[in-house]
Amino acid sequence: MSSAGKPSVLVQGTLDMLILKTLALEPMHGYGIGARIEQISKGVFQVNAGSLFPAFRRLERDGLIRAEWRSTENNRQAKYYALTPQGRAKLKRATREWETQTAAISSILDASLGELS
Amino acid sequence: MKLTSRLAGGLRALFHRNQVEAELDDELREFLQRTIERNISRGMDVEEATRAARIEIGSIDVVKEQVRDVGWESRLEAFWRDIRYAIRTLFRAKGLTVTVVLTLALGIGANAAIFSVVRGVLLRPLVNRDEDRLIYIRQTAPGISSENMTFSVAEIGDFKSRVRSFNAFGEFSTVDFTVIGLGPEPRVVKAGVVNGSFFEVMGLRPVVGRLFNTQDDGPKAASVVVLTHRFWTTQFNSDPTVIGRTLRVASHPATVIGVLEPSVPYPTATEIMANMVTSPHHMEATMQTFRTHRMTELFGRLAPGAKLETARSELAAVHADMMREHPEAYSAGNVELRVTRLRDQIAGPARTVLLLLLAAAVVVFVIACSNVANLILARSVRRERELAVRASLGAGRRALRRTLLAESLVLCTAGAVLGVLLAEPFVALVGRYAGRFSIRALDVTLDASVLWVGAGFALVAAVLLAYVPRLPSTSSPAGLGLATGGVRITAGTNRKLRAFAMSQIACSFVLLAGAGTLVATLVKLQTTNTGYNTRNVLVFDIPTPAPNVARDAPSDFHQQVTRRVGELPGVEGVARAEFTPWRDAGSWPAMPITVEGYTPAAGEETYAQPRFVSANFFSLLGVPLLAGQEFTEADRLSKEPVAIVSQSLAQRMFPSRDVLNRHMSVKWPIGEPTSYRIVGVAADVDDMNVRPQPGLTIYTLGGGSRLFVRAAGDPHSLVPKVTRVIREIAANQAVEHAATLEDIRAEMLSPDRLNAFVFSGFAGIALLIAVVGVAGVLAFLVSARTREFGVRLAIGSSPRLLLAGVLRDGMRIAVVGVAVGVTGGYAVVVAAQRLFGSVQLPGILPVIAAAAVLIGAAIVASLIPAARASRVDVLQALRSE
Repeated sequence: MSSAGKPSVLVQGTLDMLILKTLALEPMHGYGIGARIEQISKGVFQVNAGSLFPAFRRLERDGLIRAEWRSTENNRQAKYYALTPQGRAKLKRATREWETQTAAISSILDASLGELS
Repeated sequence: MKLTSRLAGGLRALFHRNQVEAELDDELREFLQRTIERNISRGMDVEEATRAARIEIGSIDVVKEQVRDVGWESRLEAFWRDIRYAIRTLFRAKGLTVTVVLTLALGIGANAAIFSVVRGVLLRPLVNRDEDRLIYIRQTAPGISSENMTFSVAEIGDFKSRVRSFNAFGEFSTVDFTVIGLGPEPRVVKAGVVNGSFFEVMGLRPVVGRLFNTQDDGPKAASVVVLTHRFWTTQFNSDPTVIGRTLRVASHPATVIGVLEPSVPYPTATEIMANMVTSPHHMEATMQTFRTHRMTELFGRLAPGAKLETARSELAAVHADMMREHPEAYSAGNVELRVTRLRDQIAGPARTVLLLLLAAAVVVFVIACSNVANLILARSVRRERELAVRASLGAGRRALRRTLLAESLVLCTAGAVLGVLLAEPFVALVGRYAGRFSIRALDVTLDASVLWVGAGFALVAAVLLAYVPRLPSTSSPAGLGLATGGVRITAGTNRKLRAFAMSQIACSFVLLAGAGTLVATLVKLQTTNTGYNTRNVLVFDIPTPAPNVARDAPSDFHQQVTRRVGELPGVEGVARAEFTPWRDAGSWPAMPITVEGYTPAAGEETYAQPRFVSANFFSLLGVPLLAGQEFTEADRLSKEPVAIVSQSLAQRMFPSRDVLNRHMSVKWPIGEPTSYRIVGVAADVDDMNVRPQPGLTIYTLGGGSRLFVRAAGDPHSLVPKVTRVIREIAANQAVEHAATLEDIRAEMLSPDRLNAFVFSGFAGIALLIAVVGVAGVLAFLVSARTREFGVRLAIGSSPRLLLAGVLRDGMRIAVVGVAVGVTGGYAVVVAAQRLFGSVQLPGILPVIAAAAVLIGAAIVASLIPAARASRVDVLQALRSE
């Protein structure tokens, strides 16, 4: 991932996992989810609306998240998303898989001839 | 879970679209609002913050589009949009739409109808209980071309006592009874005389009352009859009180005890069923004891656990034993046994005809599709510009293909709907036609399966059609079509157009040649001389009366009828016989004969067809006597057995040509052989087939149930007069089936006529479509070459040259098409010969005629476009691009 301080392109398929993780902390509306991903990743990931909203629709259709209109702190109406039990299970699976894969990838990248012989 | 939640979400989006859209709007507005607020909090002023937020988010509409594309419903909506677009564009091209829909409707309708009939006749099970265990047994003697010799009581007795694969046998024979009590007049009724276990074996139930059981067997039982369903509904208006009514059947009282459920009659359709005791003939000693007195059809129901194969081999073994024990009863013609499922036996004769029809229908469908493909192809070339515009505006290849698919789907669906509507009358027509070959075809109706067939064909056609046109390729410069605006035909399109036109010609050729063959056969049959004077000879059925119907003995009754009818004005002559030519002349089997002075070779046996005729028979029917003279009153009175032989018999058995007054004897099924003195030789006539074949026939005196009357004027006007005279002699005498020999011959030819008619119909449709196809292709090619023609005319080419060029083009398509048709058709016939055995190659004449018709039609079809090419206006043509 980029180290030049420029926003990075997400590895394909990880956006769903990031959204689920964000919602695992607390139910949140669309803007909040995007902002939180950006904030936690320290600005490495900037998610635009064109990826975010289709992802919400997809996750909602798959029954992984649930939407609900709620009043916000400044008394406006916003659509809040929350994890469903299926979503929680999916997040657990996806996290485990991700960890296995990244561990494998790092060990390949770290490999030197000496270790192999 | 995932699936149901996806489905629910999609359905919600479809049916509560406004709400879902409004929510999305609200959500995005909220998102925008927060982005703006964030920007303000970073120190921008309101205007700047709003602009920055909009830039960051991009087009709200694009985001919405992306969100909508997540669900399956968006694809459905896109498809629906394509369909609506297709309907709109097709509405603008009315001529094309109508042609395509009609062509497809013809193709699909014909196929749907024929599929229904094939299904109904060949595949539908019979109504009989456990019909796959119902077996039909037949004895044949191929050596004397006796397709069905039936069985005698003695033979059936052997089967009953020795065969274990069947629990019971059903016996069935037909007898014509004169029945009194059905209406004001006595009627001859075709009856099936059956044994008590017949209905149990057949697995049929009564609609009203009861059917026969084993208590109705034997000479002591009461006479009872069962009405067939058709007879009950037509004759008695389905009146249930008919049960218990007493009829006089063959002069004896018989009680109606029940009505049979509707079922397929086999081997003969009868009006009533009677138990054995009702038929005096069945009770005679000869019927009971003589092994060669055969008239009964035999059915069996497989015993539980028995298989058709085991039953077949068991029956064959028993039959072989029978033949060994009674060699004298099986001397002729290599008697053998055939054991089939009843269903297969009934479907058998219709199979070839129906498969042929099916093939013809499929060929018509192929022609229709190929013609429609041509029209669509031509249209798509004209539309290339539109497609190019759409492609350059960003439509992908898939989107374009989807548009084309939607269009062809609309066309094909319309064609299929119309085709299914057309199928209804088609089914009625084809059913009546196929009814000549299998009784089951008569009650075939259109069922839901036709919808599936129609839908299937439409889908096949739609997919084929959508892949016919070339798409503007994304790699090649699409700008070509955009820039020039003219119609350009690539070599590939040109080849496709020609190939489709040729395939239509080839398929039409096969159909035309087939229809031509059938027509040629029919013409030959209709113009053959049958040897009879058919024009003004009437024939009546007057079944030999039972003793108490006429006051006098049968022979006196016949004499009286002959004399009184002969005295009628307008009657030129009267004769009698025991058969009606073509209708039932073959009902007596051939009999073995021996001839004085002719020593047969070892194992040689000669059979002759027996015919019972009266005096004047030959002169009345116009059959010339080549030697001797015909029977006279004196012959009848003298009681000396005399015979007249056919020319073929005379030539074969009396090589010395000295025939008159020699003796020959006939071994009748019952009693000692009778020796006859030959008094005449008659010219060969074939009274069994309309197609004459020389036959060995021996005519003897006797019989009289058929009355032949030669009329001076209109024969049909004599019918009521003759009937009245006969009724004066015997009030209760049945007089039926009055017809001239010409009528009977026409009746016998009607299957041939129908064959020719139906196939000509198919060929006509095919020819029409093919002509439209060729004309369409040429017209299109010419219109695309307008500029070229203009240039050629401008530099001095003569219009005639251009005309000839286009005509040559049409000819080339037709000639190549016919050549392909000849080779393809030949291959098909050879393959069919290998499959069915009995397929004939068409004569050379129909083939040449079909080729001539097609090439002629192609020339006519090319004339209009050719004329247009030669009249191209030079200036306009050059300006056209």
